Amino acid sequence: MAWFSGSRAPAEAARPSGLHSQALRALLDGLQAESRPVVLDLGPPVAANITFLSALSCRVRIADLHRSLGAESVESRRPEAVGALLERLLPLAPGERFDALFAWDVFDYMRPDQVSALMTRLAPAFGPQTAVLVLASTEREIPATPLRYRILDPENLACDGPREPRRASPRHAQPDLARMMPGFSVQRSVRLRSGIQEYLFVRGAGEEPVRAGVAGALRGLSPRAPWFRRGRL
Amino acid sequence: MWNKREEEVVRSPAAPPAAVPSAATSERREAAGIGASITIVGDVTGDEDLTILGKVEGKIDLPQHSVTIGQGGRVKADIHAKAVSVAGEVHGNLVASEQIVIRKTATMLGNLSAPRVGLEDGCCFRGSVEMETPAPKGRTALAASPAASAPKPEPAARP
Repeated sequence: MAWFSGSRAPAEAARPSGLHSQALRALLDGLQAESRPVVLDLGPPVAANITFLSALSCRVRIADLHRSLGAESVESRRPEAVGALLERLLPLAPGERFDALFAWDVFDYMRPDQVSALMTRLAPAFGPQTAVLVLASTEREIPATPLRYRILDPENLACDGPREPRRASPRHAQPDLARMMPGFSVQRSVRLRSGIQEYLFVRGAGEEPVRAGVAGALRGLSPRAPWFRRGRL
Repeated sequence: MWNKREEEVVRSPAAPPAAVPSAATSERREAAGIGASITIVGDVTGDEDLTILGKVEGKIDLPQHSVTIGQGGRVKADIHAKAVSVAGEVHGNLVASEQIVIRKTATMLGNLSAPRVGLEDGCCFRGSVEMETPAPKGRTALAASPAASAPKPEPAARP
């Protein structure tokens, strides 16, 4: 019997292909308060996301960071060189500013020093209320490559991509992420049944009251489900 | 003998436009091609559609026509056209008055600006996308569509 042998039951092996994300909803509500928001997507290009965000009058910048980093030499990915590498992969135009950053699960595939270097690199382009959506796995193993997250609607994501082979998960905890993202505070943190912890970080939200934008939208969001209240920090 | 005559008739569309009846001229779309062995360094302008299978470095300006970069085509240029389709490699910014399509075989580094932008899954793209979307009431309302909510909400446990 499967529950005696310890082998993975078929139902367990079949991973859920979708996520219900309250953080996404909050982030999108915040974007609507901006006149012409700019979104940086660290994931690969997903046509549905670009169409969805464009309908919200967003300008979308795609970084496809995992593929870009993977195409670079091991030397250029070393801690002492990663700053220069990111400068080349993510050139910033003068005055460029991001209102939101979709990190998805990309941080699970980066070393902490790489995440820190990335956030340092992007700091000049962050506004006072820039929001970051992070999906961090709490499981021991994750797929070998990041999944593709497709926005179905403001509260639901589809996850595409191969689940096998797998690799060890860094299991970034909230304090780890907070250290990697100086200046950002967690506004929402919900652990999903799929083993993913979703975080919505907002810049400066913990330091002073923010009246509008993403942080404002977060305050206005009424937690409707008990599980949502439990997950609130 | 009659064979030769027939061959001439078949060849006639390739003859100068003056030899073609005027009605046909207005309907037919001219198209030019840059073959796989051709390299062009400089600006490309014209009054017909363009297919690139070779290499172009410089600037491509065909505001009334479409530009297709075929698989194997390599372009280092900003492109301004009515429609742009990329299946090869492009380093540059694309501006189209109608649409841009990035095929799954494409490698595209640059910014895209068009009323409609299509990105096939699997394409390699780094840059920004700006679409001019008609928004009669300002913004699209953020409503969760019942059809799209196929993946059921996942209850969460306390972290």
